[in-house]
Amino acid sequence: MVEELSLLLGGAQGAGLESSANILTKAFGYLGYGTFSDREYFSNIKGRHSYIHTRVSSTTLPSSLTYPVQILCAMDAETVFTHFWDVGEGGFLVHDASLSNVKGESIPSIEPRLKERLKQTFKTLGIDSTIGSLTRYLSESKKVNVIDLNYPEILSELAKRFKLLPQQASRYLSSIIVGAVAGLVQLESEAVDYSIQSRFGAKPELVEHNKFAVGLVAELVKERYGLTYKLDPSKLKHDEFLVASGNDVVAMAKLVGGLRYQSYYPITPAADESFTIESYQKLTVDQKSIGSTVVIQTEDEIAAITSAIGAAMCGVRSATATSGPGFSLMVEGLGYAGQNEVPVVITYYQRGAPSTGQPTRGGQQDLLFSLFASHGEFPRIVLSSGDHQEAFYDAIEAFNLAERYQVPVIHLLDKFLANCISTMAIPDLSKVKLDRGKVAAELRGYKRFSLSEAISPWAYLGSDAVQWYAGDEHSEEGHIDEDPVNRVEMYDKRMKKLEIMDEEIPPQSRAILQGPDDAEYLLVGWGFVKGVALDAIEELGRKGLRGAYLNIKMFSPFPSNYVKSIISKFGEGKVIAVEHNYLAQASMAITMNTGIQLEKSIVKYTGRPIYKHELVKAIERALEGSKREVLTYGQ
Amino acid sequence: MDWCPACGNFGISAAIYKAYAELNLNPNKTVIVSGIGCSGKTPHFVKINGVHTLHGRSIAFATGIKVANPQLKVIVHGGDGDLLGIGAGHFVALGRRNLGVTVIMHDNGVYGLTKGQASPTLKKGLKTKSLAEPNMFNAVNPIALALAAGYTFVARGYSMLSEHLKDLIKAAITHRGSAFLDVLQPCVTYNDIHTAEYYRKRVYNLSSQPGWDPVVREQKEEEVEKKALQAWQRSLEWGDKIPIGIFYHNPNAPTLEDTLNERLPSYKEKPLPQQAISGEDGAPIVDQTAFKKLFGDFIVRVKRV
Repeated sequence: MVEELSLLLGGAQGAGLESSANILTKAFGYLGYGTFSDREYFSNIKGRHSYIHTRVSSTTLPSSLTYPVQILCAMDAETVFTHFWDVGEGGFLVHDASLSNVKGESIPSIEPRLKERLKQTFKTLGIDSTIGSLTRYLSESKKVNVIDLNYPEILSELAKRFKLLPQQASRYLSSIIVGAVAGLVQLESEAVDYSIQSRFGAKPELVEHNKFAVGLVAELVKERYGLTYKLDPSKLKHDEFLVASGNDVVAMAKLVGGLRYQSYYPITPAADESFTIESYQKLTVDQKSIGSTVVIQTEDEIAAITSAIGAAMCGVRSATATSGPGFSLMVEGLGYAGQNEVPVVITYYQRGAPSTGQPTRGGQQDLLFSLFASHGEFPRIVLSSGDHQEAFYDAIEAFNLAERYQVPVIHLLDKFLANCISTMAIPDLSKVKLDRGKVAAELRGYKRFSLSEAISPWAYLGSDAVQWYAGDEHSEEGHIDEDPVNRVEMYDKRMKKLEIMDEEIPPQSRAILQGPDDAEYLLVGWGFVKGVALDAIEELGRKGLRGAYLNIKMFSPFPSNYVKSIISKFGEGKVIAVEHNYLAQASMAITMNTGIQLEKSIVKYTGRPIYKHELVKAIERALEGSKREVLTYGQ
Repeated sequence: MDWCPACGNFGISAAIYKAYAELNLNPNKTVIVSGIGCSGKTPHFVKINGVHTLHGRSIAFATGIKVANPQLKVIVHGGDGDLLGIGAGHFVALGRRNLGVTVIMHDNGVYGLTKGQASPTLKKGLKTKSLAEPNMFNAVNPIALALAAGYTFVARGYSMLSEHLKDLIKAAITHRGSAFLDVLQPCVTYNDIHTAEYYRKRVYNLSSQPGWDPVVREQKEEEVEKKALQAWQRSLEWGDKIPIGIFYHNPNAPTLEDTLNERLPSYKEKPLPQQAISGEDGAPIVDQTAFKKLFGDFIVRVKRV
């Protein structure tokens, strides 16, 4: 019996891997376990290697991943070659026995650099390049339990039983994977059935076929191998969970937050959010629509941001969702929103950059860009979320902040969060409030940019107040005005909001210290680093090394004094920046805002997330004196 | 108004004042959206909501405004460089959407505010006053482009024929669907070819042509095709004779507002700004109960032991 478990399911893109992961996640959820799954894939629709890396826990809702895994399930040969080094001693490898003679070099979709690394490895290990000899090596030298199932035989049994054509039966490859995991961890069939039912409920024959295939394989694994990797019963006390990707969580939050206009141009990894919003755009509750949200796929990201600004001017909560290349195109529009004090929200999922970069891989390389994008100066809010739960509440708060201060808000997320499927508590909406800001009560003689206060009362296009806007420097009425005195007054009025925001938004909500402020070291990070940082700290804590994590959530306005006061409590060399970029950009932002230079950093920019096991080691090395650790696990 | 003396924009302004007055447009419920350039200043000279936007992006801003509140009349004023150069993608997109936005293009063949560079409507080989060498690129045909993009009202006016232009503006604004009005406009400072004299000799009114009927009476494929083809043919005329008037008018094609109204109940009657997002106390209308019902697909029930 174990407390938690890591698994990796791999196969060709489009072969049903997501289906396997979805069913397993729900089945674990049904039994009360928390899961966290990262989906890694190429920029490709069908054929290239993809995998899902999952952590299942009986004691916590996980939000990070680690290696080695205890179970590796391979749908195809490429998975075995790509991931065999990820299984730990005593772990399980499930693979297709009919592929034992396949050689690594014969697989066209393996990238040349990996083929080269494999060749070297086989040479070092003194084995030939077939799956058969590789699995023998794993079994003999690494004590990996190799479970070779004959996938074609299983599928033909399914085909025979339900009179399916071979190509129809091949769609149930995903069920073999589910069945193998179910057998190994002895998942109750009731849980798997619940999960299959909830995924395929509308199609009874799919339910039947899936149940049959899963049951067949689970039994086979149990009978033939008698090996088990049983999880402790869950200690989590939840009655229900929300199981969703970061994209979906943000989509739900935006709808709760009163989103009425969402524009987007298709881009990975942001587009799924807009898809989900559109699926729920009627807000149908008990067969009744309680509101509506328009989703417009625009001709480009320039139109995405500018149309969203137009909608916001009409008084609707308006947003767009994009990634780096799209945000690059939005920059002029962002400046317009700043100049015209328009509350618009940009949900920004960072991905491997620059240029096209790594469209389907993760990174945190756009922090400084978000802070400084656009010519000129204007106040903006840059908000970052550490996990799904934070992303949910932040996505709502982004609208409140935008409208309260009449500024553009950039909600910074990343591909890791976008695609990770997390088990989370159902959000508590009892404390959520929607704040529309200072809405004008008096519309006679209305001036959109009234200088009477920094945040002019807001009236919408279409209200009873005629109003003007201009990207040019403008008068209180919104007409072009180049008078130097007016220029200074308008400039000051806009910039004054930075001070107001800094006074009003509690610094403890902009940077969150988790752990004691007298700990032996402090990790400083942002966004997706949170989960793995906290888990690494916990692991080191068990070894007697006490650490704390400073999760920076708002980079503009930056909580300078608060961050300075926390960092100052830790001695020199005890503060380590952890980020998914090269420069340690948050650490640069800290220096810019506090004058403090962080000496140490741990960075990763492979496009894959930082894993707990590598972070733990890197922290140890940093505390021994290393100034810069570059992580690379996931080759 | 800070245009050059005798600028074509004065003629256009005179026509829009009259048209807007005769249509009795409610200044609160009308929005003029403009881009950058001489024409971009138009909203500042009209007492109607005005959004002076970025270069080339007026249509995109207008799209957000109109979609958010279909009860507003939304009118775009842009130059030929703004709409067909830097903003050409948005110009095409609006036609595809058939969204009820009127685009009035101030077409003078040059980038006036940056001192007379060639615009997308200036023919190849022409050398207007400030060009160092003759224009190197072919011109785009705005009428044909609008037809190809799917605008359901396509017309051309001339800034010096104010009364006729006013009627066209009124027809464009009252049209349901995307409307495009190409307004020929002399630039007295930088375009010494397309002068008032040049146009005076050449423009003729399509409606003076015997049998000219640009209106699609029924939303039938053959009729749409017939009316589009004759419009296309007229759009190619540019020389001794330049047609003005309505080229194509299809009042029956479904609009984006229609499509959205089919999807979203009460979209037209109760536009998005009027839909509550929270109660008086700020609690979201998607409350805990609604959330669980709405997003039930994402919720996993834990087995009771």
